[in-house]
Amino acid sequence: MGVSRQTINSIENDRYTPSLPLAIALARYFSVPVEEMFDDQGA
Amino acid sequence: MIRERSQAVVHSKWSLPLFSLALGVVALVASWLGGQPGAGWISLAIMAGFGLFLLLAGRSETIRGLRGDGRDERFAQIDLRATAVAGLVLITTLIVVWLVQIAQGHSGSPYDWLCAIGGLAYLLAVAFFRWRG
Repeated sequence: MGVSRQTINSIENDRYTPSLPLAIALARYFSVPVEEMFDDQGA
Repeated sequence: MIRERSQAVVHSKWSLPLFSLALGVVALVASWLGGQPGAGWISLAIMAGFGLFLLLAGRSETIRGLRGDGRDERFAQIDLRATAVAGLVLITTLIVVWLVQIAQGHSGSPYDWLCAIGGLAYLLAVAFFRWRG
């Protein structure tokens, strides 16, 4: 994925919003749509 | 084409420590040329010590991020923000010192030049990045 464990932790805890390529890569990794993985409810 | 911003920026863990050491050597040469070799050796010792610290303190995310070998897109953003804060502190300090110098009846040099360079660099950078899109 090319990012640190701390970055993944920050994404999980809504402290960091990933870039679009990283969001797509994460969604592909978990085989789910991007909008299912990241929603804008907290924005 | 979308740039792979999520890809980790790969740097050698030696780059910043070696840069630190090289800067210390340059400071030593400059101090030597200025007739103050003692101050130069102190500068070299400080820079070499900082480089050694960066090299040996390897497990911290902050250290690896500073060094470059543990840098990803999040740390690149942290680096950008930290650079902006440091620049803001620097330019604020320069403006305050320049004003104090003027108030004391001095010319304000070289702080006026440093403020002008900082402001001009900012404007040029804004224009460049706007042009580049």
